Amino acid sequence: MTTDVSSENTEQTEELQDDQQGYKILVVDDEPDLEPLVRQRMRREIRSGRYSFVFAHNGVEALKELEDDDDIDMVLSDINMPQMDGLTLLQEIPKAKPNVRSVIISAYGDMQNIRTAMNRGAFDFITKPVDFDDLRVTIDRTLRHIQELRDALSVRDRLVAIQNELDVAKNMQQSILPTVFPTGAGYSVYGTMRPARNIGGDFFDLMRLQFDRIGLVVADVSDKGVAAGLFMMSSRTLLKGAAVGKGHPGEVLTEVNSLLVEDNETGMFVTVLYSVFDPRSGRLTYASGGENPPVLVRADGSSEELPLTQGIVLGVAPEYEYMENSVDLAPGDSVIFVTDGVTEAMNEAQEPMGIQRVRDHFAQSPPKDPESTALAVIDVIKEFAGTAAQHDDITCLVLRRDD
Amino acid sequence: MLKVDAERDQVTVVAKTEGRIDSGSAQEFQAALEKVIQPEDKALIIDFENVSYISSAGMRVILLTAKTLQRQGGQLALCSLTEPIREVFKISGFDNIIAIHETRAEAAAAISK
Repeated sequence: MTTDVSSENTEQTEELQDDQQGYKILVVDDEPDLEPLVRQRMRREIRSGRYSFVFAHNGVEALKELEDDDDIDMVLSDINMPQMDGLTLLQEIPKAKPNVRSVIISAYGDMQNIRTAMNRGAFDFITKPVDFDDLRVTIDRTLRHIQELRDALSVRDRLVAIQNELDVAKNMQQSILPTVFPTGAGYSVYGTMRPARNIGGDFFDLMRLQFDRIGLVVADVSDKGVAAGLFMMSSRTLLKGAAVGKGHPGEVLTEVNSLLVEDNETGMFVTVLYSVFDPRSGRLTYASGGENPPVLVRADGSSEELPLTQGIVLGVAPEYEYMENSVDLAPGDSVIFVTDGVTEAMNEAQEPMGIQRVRDHFAQSPPKDPESTALAVIDVIKEFAGTAAQHDDITCLVLRRDD
Repeated sequence: MLKVDAERDQVTVVAKTEGRIDSGSAQEFQAALEKVIQPEDKALIIDFENVSYISSAGMRVILLTAKTLQRQGGQLALCSLTEPIREVFKISGFDNIIAIHETRAEAAAAISK
């Protein structure tokens, strides 16, 4: 047998926990051609023992499978199926197996069903036609989340304390961050989130959109703990859903805000900067919901803060309409997105850092690739903070248009 | 340390707040405000003159307080914000939904209208 070295997806297959002997995934779809397709496209993961798959053709079969087989870790389910559909199945899974997480396969841009699915506890969704690279990333993310939740819960059984709740939330936070950064499509991008010890709800996300565009999210959920963690999860997923379904950043924030405002009695909110980059035209369009302005740094190191769009944080103002701005990036331009953990980083004298130090740094040494740019921002903060403790999450996401 | 002192006259309650309102003190801030607000109160002014910092956890308390007052037919106003804190309210867009005034007198005048 020849070794398969085609690199259809080498970078995404990052290692999960070493002590795992493989995860079992239940795939539920009434279309008969999905099973051979999954077996073919996931053959390497199956061969290595990383994933194994079992199949069911509707919700009823799936529930029976879950009852009979205690080893199933996650469910990947279609929505429209005979006997019992995917949305009904989602309601039944937690009753049968509370630790199993589900990912829904939906039609492209079908926000209504996606929203229902998320309300019923789906962890994530993918859209049809199934992109198997995306599916792998989604499966890995879901499994990592399950593992972290299990680890956290096993600790929690032993020590019931507030700290553990914070850990659960923190693990949720880590598990939703992208770990793979696209390159080679006319742009490159890199993001990092440095959690503060006890608080913070920062996250960032990247979404591949139609026509080779990419969606970029930087966000910060108010408050801490499990409730904030759950609010973060639903914010992230609603953003992803709206981003896939709608073209314009302003519309995306308007839609997500209206969904978050519903039944939000906790007063929780999320600040979001959402932008879409079109590598064909070089245009970056963005909308802000209470986030810091992005910083555009030109290839020569000169920089400017991009004007904000005056939007309010998401989750508090019903029927609010978000505006958007756009800017044309020249080849070699970088855009730095940060949360207030950067601008409000404190030094020993309790003074906030602001953004000027970051701009000064790049005026001296212009940005190169996004990774080194993001790490340079972190270094600027460290230098400023000295021995002062980090009191909030720090997130930095960098997009660069290729030279 | 966070400190909240309440003064009341016939129309308004003023909660003069001092210190940092961050995730460590937000609950304390919320409890202090809940103690200050009576069911019949129609207006609360929070004086920010001596507040040095407010985090998003603190903003959430402001929001919940505004909702509480709204439910009892009252309103919330803030006054005397330092420039950095004014900026936090501007960036977050909170200045669109919470009344902010330069001075306590201006806040009181706006409320009694």
